Amino acid sequence: MEENPVEIKTSRIPKIDKIINYKDFFGEYPIIFAIKIISSLSLIYVISEFYIYHNPMDSLLTKYLGKSLKGFNPSPDVFVPWGFAAGFLFYIFTIFKGRYKFLLFILIIGSVSHYIADPAIDMQGGEYTIPTKVDIENSETNATEWKWKPVKLVYDDVDKTYERIDDLKVRMTNIIFGSMPFLGAYGIWKRKGWAIAASIGLAIIIGFLYTPNLCLENYEESYCGYDTKQEDRTWSEYLSSGIFIGLGFVIYIELSYAAIKYENYAEQFKPAGLDISLLTNAQRKSVSRTLSTLFVSYLINLAVILFVTFIIAEIVININNYLSTSDGQIQDSIELQGPYGIVFTSLIFFLLLGIIRMFIGPDHKMEES
Amino acid sequence: MWSKKAAAVAGGAIFLTLAGLIRLNYLFISAGLVMLTFVVISSFLDVWMPNVKIRRETTSDNIFEDGTMSVKFIIKNTGLGIGFVEIYDSLPPQARIMKGSNYTLLYMKPWQEVSFEYSLKLPLRGHYHLGPVKMRVKDAFDLFYNERIEESIHSFSVFPQVEVLEEQVITSRAPKLLSGAMPLNVIGTGTEFYSLREFVPGDSLRSVNWKALAKKGKMMVNETVREDVMDVILLLDAREVSAVGGGRDTPLEMSCRAAATYAKQLLDERNNVALMVYGESIERVDLDRGEHHLFKILTALSSAKPQGNLKLQIVMKDLLPHLPSGSPIILFSSLDDDHTISEAFTSTISRGFTITTISPSSLDFEEKMKRIPIEPLLIAKIERDNMISELRSFGLQVGDWKYGDNVNTALQEI
Repeated sequence: MEENPVEIKTSRIPKIDKIINYKDFFGEYPIIFAIKIISSLSLIYVISEFYIYHNPMDSLLTKYLGKSLKGFNPSPDVFVPWGFAAGFLFYIFTIFKGRYKFLLFILIIGSVSHYIADPAIDMQGGEYTIPTKVDIENSETNATEWKWKPVKLVYDDVDKTYERIDDLKVRMTNIIFGSMPFLGAYGIWKRKGWAIAASIGLAIIIGFLYTPNLCLENYEESYCGYDTKQEDRTWSEYLSSGIFIGLGFVIYIELSYAAIKYENYAEQFKPAGLDISLLTNAQRKSVSRTLSTLFVSYLINLAVILFVTFIIAEIVININNYLSTSDGQIQDSIELQGPYGIVFTSLIFFLLLGIIRMFIGPDHKMEES
Repeated sequence: MWSKKAAAVAGGAIFLTLAGLIRLNYLFISAGLVMLTFVVISSFLDVWMPNVKIRRETTSDNIFEDGTMSVKFIIKNTGLGIGFVEIYDSLPPQARIMKGSNYTLLYMKPWQEVSFEYSLKLPLRGHYHLGPVKMRVKDAFDLFYNERIEESIHSFSVFPQVEVLEEQVITSRAPKLLSGAMPLNVIGTGTEFYSLREFVPGDSLRSVNWKALAKKGKMMVNETVREDVMDVILLLDAREVSAVGGGRDTPLEMSCRAAATYAKQLLDERNNVALMVYGESIERVDLDRGEHHLFKILTALSSAKPQGNLKLQIVMKDLLPHLPSGSPIILFSSLDDDHTISEAFTSTISRGFTITTISPSSLDFEEKMKRIPIEPLLIAKIERDNMISELRSFGLQVGDWKYGDNVNTALQEI
């Protein structure tokens, strides 16, 4: 007897892994996913902290853009979370595959266009959407005629559309200050070192363009969000807050770099050019355990070093204050009491640390062959 | 040593501090100083450097050209250190990795033994070594790293490729006493038919040709060619001029392959073989036989380097007094840049030696490399053909070995 061959029907619904590379999002090991989340949180913290001391309204950018862009009103409460979300969503967009990425792109363009055009353009269907022969009313000869009136565009609420365009423009302007979290989020999740470096570079540039109370010199109090000139903070206040921002940047750099590093380590454990699925369960568990052990030890190292860094930085920065206020000839030095004095004494301190390092640090001599 | 990351963080920190001075921004100054402190403090962290024992297991001690060698690299952490180590096993520049990798990143625990494997192929004969091993470890933040070179060397040789010869290589009129496998063109005990003659008393009945008896009506016996061992001298031209071309396509490389092939064939047939390599001086592997001797010859061939410009006549003058009289000499030479060839051959023949030449054409390599214009190349080819014809007219056997042909093809020309 002949057996009928069994027909295997393939499902028309594509598998999820054909649509989106979700493995890239979750990472191959839970620890890597966890590192990315911790890095993201540190990024949001650092940038929020940074903008507390660098009010975007006092930026040179706001001075010029505020006049040319209607509705330009950058607020860290808005652009930090939304900038991060935009960077993250952009990463999600990049992990879609082939035509699905294109379809998503079309969908986004279509949705935005519809959102803008919806109030203005209203469509009215005609009486007869399909051409039909109808009797002519009041006709004595029972004459007929073809009638067809498909769709009519009615320009309804054009002003509302303009409002939405303006609103979108204002939202888009947030990307000027929001590019820092945007690039940071994209860099962490897509494992792009250049994006992380660019976000830090932007922070430096934005910090450079900041001048306290610049807004009040150019705009009304209502626009600036504060009515009177803020009391200038003492330089010691700035210095101590700078320490936290500096530590925040170190945390952000280290954790985002760790996300990339551990992903690379996981790659190393795979057979060359092949998939993780070729590893046995025991091997996978072993790799996961190794990565976890390493990351925990890394976090402990980081915490200890950050604590020591904090203490040393406090000493380094405050040693100048002590020297410039202590009795003796040194307090007569005007240079020592300003920012130059801080940098000068700090450099001397580092020089001393360098000398100590020569004697107590690790020293590996190359063995002579 | 500083990593790129450390340089970037320290550079950024210094920039922030200086920018803070320019803008009188205390925030920048303190943030920059914090980052600088972080780098300085991290430099105090001891970068673990493992104490290791390295060994390699290979599929063979020596390989032939284009042969594959599998290497198992085994490293044992003999200390209490723990962490990631990057390991790079240095390979000869000519080596091609066929499988696996000579680089790996390992997470090493105390007293742990880890191994990885790779296969490599070497297209050119010579003496090579695996190693030294470069190791690199980094601190927890990848700011500083240390490198160490472990002088773990594994030496091996790549012998010239050996082909299988399709026919008897050469004949000699100077048999030795021991029985061997070479036809000597002399009537005697052997297996190869030579002629028929009439039966004389004392002839063995086993040698009677019964078919001939039936045809002629009288007893006829088969005569065979006498086979015996002989002394064969392989003479390899390793002068500087033999390096024309590139890679495997040089007269020297082809000559080495041919010499290895002939040596293998002759030694398999239990002959005594000697190898003389001349270039700057004359390197000798004296007459001997057996597998161990083949190893010596192959090793000597692997060591042959193109250098010097000794003329053949001088070489012959030096060698001939020490060679067993009448021994066949096989010369592997492109016959380039040597005006003494005719005289050398004449004096060799006149002293009773037979000389066979296998000559790879260097002009083919020049043509391939397109270094010589067409017209001069044509003239050079004609000159070479004339020289070979002249040598053949002396009764010498000269094989003109063209580029791309195998040894057997060159042999057929003789």
